[in-house]
Amino acid sequence: MATVTFKGASRIYPRAKNPAVNELNLEIRDGEFIVLVGPSGCGKTTSLRMLAGLEPVDAGDIFIDERSVVRLPPRERDIAMVFQNYALYPHMDVAGNLGFALKIAKVKKSEIKTRVAEAAKILDLEDYLDRKPGQLSGGQRQRVAMGRAIVRQPRVFLMDEPLSNLDAKLRVATRSEIAALQRRLGVTTVYVTHDQVEAMTMGDRVAVMKDGVLQQVDVPSVLYDSPVNAFVAGFIGSPAMNLVEGTVGSEGVAIGSTVVAVPRALKDTAGTGKVTVGLRPESLELAGEGAGIPAVVNLVEELGAEAYIYARLAHHVDQATFAATPDFIVRVNPKSAPKSGSAVELHVKPDSMLLFDADSGARITAA
Amino acid sequence: MLARRYIYRVIGLLVLLLFVAFFGVPLLWLLLAPTKTDYQLAHQAPLAFGSLGTFIHTFNRVINYQGGLMLTWLKNSAIYSGGGTALALLAAIPAGYGLALTQFIGRRTLLAVTLVVMIMPATALVMPLFLEASAVNLVGTAWAVILPFAFFPFGVYLAYIYFSSTIPKDLLAAARIDGAGEWGVFLHVALPLARPIVALVAFFAFVGDWTNYYLPFVMTYTNSEYPVTVGLQILIGSAPIFSPTASGYAGSEIYRPDLAMATLIGALPILIIFLFAQRTLVKGMLAGATKG
Ligand SMILES: Nc1ncnc2c1ncn2[C@@H]1O[C@H](COP(=O)(O)OP(=O)(O)OP(=O)(O)O)[C@@H](O)[C@H]1O
Ligand SMILES: [Mg+2]
Repeated sequence: MATVTFKGASRIYPRAKNPAVNELNLEIRDGEFIVLVGPSGCGKTTSLRMLAGLEPVDAGDIFIDERSVVRLPPRERDIAMVFQNYALYPHMDVAGNLGFALKIAKVKKSEIKTRVAEAAKILDLEDYLDRKPGQLSGGQRQRVAMGRAIVRQPRVFLMDEPLSNLDAKLRVATRSEIAALQRRLGVTTVYVTHDQVEAMTMGDRVAVMKDGVLQQVDVPSVLYDSPVNAFVAGFIGSPAMNLVEGTVGSEGVAIGSTVVAVPRALKDTAGTGKVTVGLRPESLELAGEGAGIPAVVNLVEELGAEAYIYARLAHHVDQATFAATPDFIVRVNPKSAPKSGSAVELHVKPDSMLLFDADSGARITAA
Repeated sequence: MLARRYIYRVIGLLVLLLFVAFFGVPLLWLLLAPTKTDYQLAHQAPLAFGSLGTFIHTFNRVINYQGGLMLTWLKNSAIYSGGGTALALLAAIPAGYGLALTQFIGRRTLLAVTLVVMIMPATALVMPLFLEASAVNLVGTAWAVILPFAFFPFGVYLAYIYFSSTIPKDLLAAARIDGAGEWGVFLHVALPLARPIVALVAFFAFVGDWTNYYLPFVMTYTNSEYPVTVGLQILIGSAPIFSPTASGYAGSEIYRPDLAMATLIGALPILIIFLFAQRTLVKGMLAGATKG
């Protein structure tokens, strides 16, 4: 078990214009389950491979415990990795796959056997030990890949989208199994996913990346309630936060022709002029006529316990940017959901609005 | 519409048959020739069948020619080809692996060089190789043939293609993370997965070595050192019909059916190997065509 520290670690692929990972700073505590999340191509896999020793570190440093590992080959780092496509050895049976690392480490045969049996038991693989990976289902292969990591008893687990090849239902079930297993074993884990729901449900802390740059790292609730910028705000949460242009005036923030009041302290730092307004679907509610932002309902999504309406703000309807403007998503009570096509007015719940700088996207907070 | 398709089919079949005849008839002739005596061969219809007795008689004549020289040649061929193939594999498989899946300075250059020497006619190198072998006093030993046979750039290229198209890099990464060093990765993961290509390279190397004529012709001096290919040439030389001046040894004249028989005997080992290795070979040739 160990701590992991990225100190300004960068990776620039040959002939690439921008770094795939740009000065990553991240301190991972002993036993922590940390999730790297971000859109495709943001450098998650590269960060993981740098830690694993499969990718060189072009600048900065990476420490496992207090020791810099950037000059160590993968086999000397004492880490285990679960690959996205599992990378099981096709010519070895399940037992061979699970025990391979121990065999290489010249562990005694009898001990390999016990440890493989132990891992197989934990992962419910006992009946498949003599099968080849080609004869297993996707879920079973995934478990073998996990098993290969846990028999090692390494200092750090790395997992690169280990669930992306499973169907939706199995994914949700396996999600909690992995989280529970990690908590039981207490091994420091870096987990990569592009699915923010996975990130939020599994991680002790979540690190959000974009274009090779770490945006924010914190516990899920802080990411949700206090994103540092518009990107994190829009990326975290499902359905996504509504981001719309607004203008700060003396009364508050104007969205279209509707002025929404903001706390004085916040308005003071915001100054005047254009801002990006962030509103979670649950920060909005339906209001009476003349009391909110006018909009037209495009679509109603009923999920049973709750319903979401996808509405087009009235002042967007005639704009040239119409096609590019996404629908506003509002959570409503399914019992009183409006019909699609109807005109509604949206009221912003007090103190629920987030403001971001219109250019940089940085969060504007009360001084 | 249907009639048209029918016509195309018939034309297609005819073309195929033509090719079968063109390549098949000589083979058939070769198989039939030893069943006939020299006189029958010259005077009967080309594809006529002589007798099984004559076939066996011809076989015995060839095998017993000059006290079993044919068997010595076969043995020599086996040593040269076997040794050459073994060394070629030892070099080509790891080389192809290195070119395909590892990073080192000069990798691309080396790959280009491999391609260039691959397309160079092998006979062009025989003279310089002979000078080299004679400089280190190898001429007249088996090594003079085996060592040049070990040089097999086509095998390197085949292995390169196989490794770069069928082995996912993550598999090697997994082995490295699991604690294997570079040799461990090769021996425990890459090599076991490369069986089809090992078989294919071995086959091509063996066939190439077995059928090679010019190199052993230059590198060997005496009857007892020749492989089958060079031996055949000796046989032809001692057939009065092809070289009236070379009378050969009394009572050991060679006739045309004997030559056909010697050719068949010389080709038989390759045929046998092919039949046994066929399934693995086809796998190797199709590798990379489908994923996983
Ligand atoms: N071997 C490589 N050579 C050059 N560029 C690469 C290489 N691997 C990745 N990149 C680039 O580096 C960037 C980050 O890639 P990376 O694989 O880390 O993204 P990711 O966050 O894991 O994305 P995904 O969610 O799609 O897996 C991308 O722009 C990618 O094109
Ligand atoms: Mg990735």
